[in-house]
Amino acid sequence: MEHENFEILAIGYLRGELNEDEIRQLESLLEENGEYRATLKALESSWQGMDEFGTPTPSDDMDQQFFKFLGKEMEGTEHKGKVSQILGKFLDWVFRPQLAYAMLFLAIGLGGGYLLKQNGQEGTVPAVVTTNVTDATEVRERLVLTLLEQPSANKRLEGVSEANKIAQVDETVIYALLKTLNNDSNVNVRLAAIESLTNYVDNALVRQGLIQSIPNQESPIIQVTLANLMLALEEKKSIAPFKQLLQDKKLDTSVKKKIEETIASII
Amino acid sequence: MHQLTDNALMLKVKSGEVDKLGLIYERHKKRLFGFFYNLGNDPMTSEDLVQNVFVRMLKYKKSYTGEGSFMAWMFRTARNVNYDFHKKNKKNTNQTDVAAIAYKLEDETSELERMDKKDTMVQLERAMHSLPMEKREVLILSKYKAMKFSEIGEVLGCSEGAAKVKAHRALNDLRSAFEKMQIQ
Repeated sequence: MEHENFEILAIGYLRGELNEDEIRQLESLLEENGEYRATLKALESSWQGMDEFGTPTPSDDMDQQFFKFLGKEMEGTEHKGKVSQILGKFLDWVFRPQLAYAMLFLAIGLGGGYLLKQNGQEGTVPAVVTTNVTDATEVRERLVLTLLEQPSANKRLEGVSEANKIAQVDETVIYALLKTLNNDSNVNVRLAAIESLTNYVDNALVRQGLIQSIPNQESPIIQVTLANLMLALEEKKSIAPFKQLLQDKKLDTSVKKKIEETIASII
Repeated sequence: MHQLTDNALMLKVKSGEVDKLGLIYERHKKRLFGFFYNLGNDPMTSEDLVQNVFVRMLKYKKSYTGEGSFMAWMFRTARNVNYDFHKKNKKNTNQTDVAAIAYKLEDETSELERMDKKDTMVQLERAMHSLPMEKREVLILSKYKAMKFSEIGEVLGCSEGAAKVKAHRALNDLRSAFEKMQIQ
């Protein structure tokens, strides 16, 4: 019984959680029994040695896997797998090169749609952001950032699509979308990023980012989409980068014409 | 937003707010990873096991009552995940232990000046890996300051006092195993 009491007190002592009374009890046991003193000293050394156990940091893959799993669960249906497959096939079909011109018309419509949206939203009262919504948004933003880093274009498209579900994104997501717009190797992902960013054109950071990306774009469809968007926004600050783009000798002639028309209209 | 307790978050997960699991994950991922790693799993396996804990949490969310300690419930789940994994991969268990130690040894080559200390640490870790799983578990759990012995008892399915005795005896066995290795 006394030995068991020593065991209980000793482990409490090592964890630093004994109260004054327990400390007195332990001290009394140690005084009476030299073997306990030696044991406690040896145990203390092993206990402290355990602090030195090196644990590596988990890799980013662990986060990616988790948020991928959570994202699927958040969609919340057992049919999610099937839906993803159907969506994947649909995206493959939609983004065939032959349909690039269809995307062009979609982009033109986007500019018009923005104007209509502006008219429709006048007088809208901002929604109250509850803690629950903020939590969900935080998780979704994390998911967006993870998906945008994926090597698969379909995954990155999913990332942009997730971003569209966020009512109010923070700067990190905006920067990630702008980075996608400027650097993504896939034109469809870049187009989707523009579409997503148009949700936040009232944000100065987004506008500035869109304008700054103009000279960086080499794809005709992206160039025309940005021209339409700037026209819809009547963004005068876009004139200089468009003029810079016009200096590019490789610029497609029809794009060149479109940009010249855009500049003339904005002025 | 981070003031919500783990219990409250898990109850929200249970009620359908699955996204709250992300917050729980962020709070405990490193601790769980350390738990699996220090039990002797290699880093990749440890990451997979962390994932399995959260998959299981979601799978059994309906059975979560919110009574008792969340940490105890989480580590009980983690313990079961580890047990199931090793039951399935019984043949590879020893190899995994060796791989985990080798991984650490590789890490240490750049720290020659601290070799002695590291040698001792490696020996202590070897001693740790030589202990039966239940002794490793109680030692790792008792090292977490955030966990009370009453919670450790819940994880292990025993009283607070019994958990303390188990921890003491496991530490004593660790010391003996370490001393034997130093003599060899």
